[in-house]
Amino acid sequence: MSEKVLLVDDEKDFLDIMSERMQARGMTVKTADSADKALAMLESESFDAIVMDFKMPGMDGIQALKNIKNQKPELQIILLTGYATVEKTVEAMKIGATDLLEKPADLEALAAKIKQAKTEKMLLVEKQNEDKIKDILQRIGG
Amino acid sequence: MPNPDLVPDRDGITFFGTLSAAVTHDMKNFLAIINENAGLLEDLAAGARNGAVPVDPRKAALISEKIRKQVNRADKMIKLFNRFSHSMDHAQESVDMEEMVLLVAGLAERIIRHHDVFLTVTPALVPCRIQAHRFDLLNLIYRAVETSCEILNNTPGENRKQVTISFGSDPLVPEICFILDTGTASGWDTLFDTSKDRALLDRVNMHVKKAGPGGNGFCLCKTPGKQ
Repeated sequence: MSEKVLLVDDEKDFLDIMSERMQARGMTVKTADSADKALAMLESESFDAIVMDFKMPGMDGIQALKNIKNQKPELQIILLTGYATVEKTVEAMKIGATDLLEKPADLEALAAKIKQAKTEKMLLVEKQNEDKIKDILQRIGG
Repeated sequence: MPNPDLVPDRDGITFFGTLSAAVTHDMKNFLAIINENAGLLEDLAAGARNGAVPVDPRKAALISEKIRKQVNRADKMIKLFNRFSHSMDHAQESVDMEEMVLLVAGLAERIIRHHDVFLTVTPALVPCRIQAHRFDLLNLIYRAVETSCEILNNTPGENRKQVTISFGSDPLVPEICFILDTGTASGWDTLFDTSKDRALLDRVNMHVKKAGPGGNGFCLCKTPGKQ
């Protein structure tokens, strides 16, 4: 099954061309031009991964990352940035980013990260379900 | 070449760094879009090589147009940045304030957008010039834009955040006005009241006065009697 990706960037031209190329690689892509819109979309739709610009007007990437992780901890988020520094990468990873890539990113590398993100998300969801079942069984048993 | 006698102070260097960061971020975005368009051309070429899909000439022309659009955006930004870099070349000179406002508006477009603020510049009806060091004047205009954005973001309400910049109608009394459309903000008494801002105003021979129909703005005015 193809990966379902939410692409978030305030550059409309970037969203258009990236989604076209990602779709050509078999991914299902939805776009949002702000973090606020992305958060609203997450309330009604499920995604395997989010690819999001680090710096955007309104809510920036770090704040959006925190909010998304609060809302859907299993969701894998790959951040894109103009300048990837070690500090920035560490900060993003600490909050729960799956990866941080520098623009212009290599699409094949990004596609591989998205595929990996989907697998990780599935494992996390499986673990969450297992924990839920264990919890229910414990309550019934106890 | 920058004049070594006019090296900016720490505050000036911070201003230069802020605008440089915004400009280089924009440049990276332009490059990223160009890169993806080049990638799309590669995808099309690969498809045609395999004999699966012939290259659609209309599609190729569209991609070329998209690349050109980004090159034009980058070219415009580089030109603005080059003019900004040369603002340290001369000491006091006669400077067109409208030109300086447009330069700051172009370079800080991304920063202004980040504040969620819309900036409109009303063309000057008469020449609006001042004798000043170009870099200091740019720094002061940027501080005024930044202050306007901060005031708007601290004003409660969901209204569109709009700053309109206009120029004085008397060429002998040059002034730049920043009118904020969203309500009357508080904190006017402390506007440009830090020692850094006061020093900057002094270097450009300007002072601040309240403006706007409801006092919802301010003007940077030439201080009389000073050159």
